[in-house]
Amino acid sequence: MAKKTYDLLFKLLLIGDSGVGKTCVLFRFSDDAFNTTFISTIGIDFKIKTVELQGKKIKLQIWDTAGQERFHTITTSYYRGAMGIMLVYDITNGKSFENISKWLRNIDEHANEDVERMLLGNKCDMDDKRVVPKGKGEQIAREHGIRFFETSAKANINIEKAFLTLAEDILRKTPVKEPNSENVDISSGGGVTGWKSKCC
Amino acid sequence: MEEPPWREEEEEGDGERDEAEPEGALGKSPLQLTAEDVYDISYVMGRELMALGSDPRVTQLQFKIVRVLEMLEALVNEGNLTVEELKLERDNLRKEVEGLRRAGPPASGEVNLGPDKMVVDLTDPNRPRFTLQELRDVLQERNQLKSQLLVVQEELQCYKSGLFSPREGSGGRREKEALVARASNASRNKEEKTIIRKLFSFRSGKP
Repeated sequence: MAKKTYDLLFKLLLIGDSGVGKTCVLFRFSDDAFNTTFISTIGIDFKIKTVELQGKKIKLQIWDTAGQERFHTITTSYYRGAMGIMLVYDITNGKSFENISKWLRNIDEHANEDVERMLLGNKCDMDDKRVVPKGKGEQIAREHGIRFFETSAKANINIEKAFLTLAEDILRKTPVKEPNSENVDISSGGGVTGWKSKCC
Repeated sequence: MEEPPWREEEEEGDGERDEAEPEGALGKSPLQLTAEDVYDISYVMGRELMALGSDPRVTQLQFKIVRVLEMLEALVNEGNLTVEELKLERDNLRKEVEGLRRAGPPASGEVNLGPDKMVVDLTDPNRPRFTLQELRDVLQERNQLKSQLLVVQEELQCYKSGLFSPREGSGGRREKEALVARASNASRNKEEKTIIRKLFSFRSGKP
């Protein structure tokens, strides 16, 4: 009777300065919707989306962190369980781009060593307010050997592509084996180690 | 005499003191006396002493009176100078305070606070009152409940999509009831000790 509705579970994490659009990027991917009202994320939240890659059903559990400094002690404890981290900046906000090195240091300090990283320059629909050239994003991504996309949650540009690419990169280095059947464990720090779904 | 600083007082005094009546100086408040008033008083007293005749005792008294009047003159002059200086100093300080108030309204808000300190307005309903650990616990519990909800929703979807054969269906139904019962039990237990409830216990007065 206990049968899984997915083959693999990947845990992803969104980080970056407050207001760059992490929650909107996630909301676009999970619900294909966009909301202009800015509501600051309180601490940490998550969404689930199941995708199919190479014939495998992959459940993505995506953790959305608050960018505000005051939540950092809470959010950094969620780095460790992440298999993929999306670092988001806002192409209309120079400060959010300057802080990339700070966020990369956070990853080095708190995340697993083999975590898959990706850089996103969000709000690319607002080209008239752009202050960070695309080339600068590409350059810093190259320097750190990570993938880079310019995205727009509002105009739905590259959102799905970014998530699927990150999932593919994680899948590529995942050894082929049966998914473990540990129970749901949303403890901070460890994050979720597995999903067991008794169904049908 | 230095007149300008005394303008306020002088104006009243001028009205009372008629040049023709030097006796008016004797009716003044001692704090408002000027050297001029002292001379008026001297004039009045000299006139009256003269009227008393040339008794040697009067002459003797006259020396003492002159001495006392000289002392009074010195005191009045000294006192007035001091008052003038103090008024100047007061005006300067007043200007300085105004300047400071205008320059740094935020600085006056955080008086005598060391670094890394914060003032909390206890009357502000939105003031911070929970600790980071409490927030962490609430968030963890929220996320746990959310993940459980997702699992339950998924299961429900399976039941709804009719993935059961008719024979399984009855079994499934029984199981579903059991599941519901279990869930409500769990939630009832949970209700008694959720962190949110603990945090808001001050409302109901329970510990």
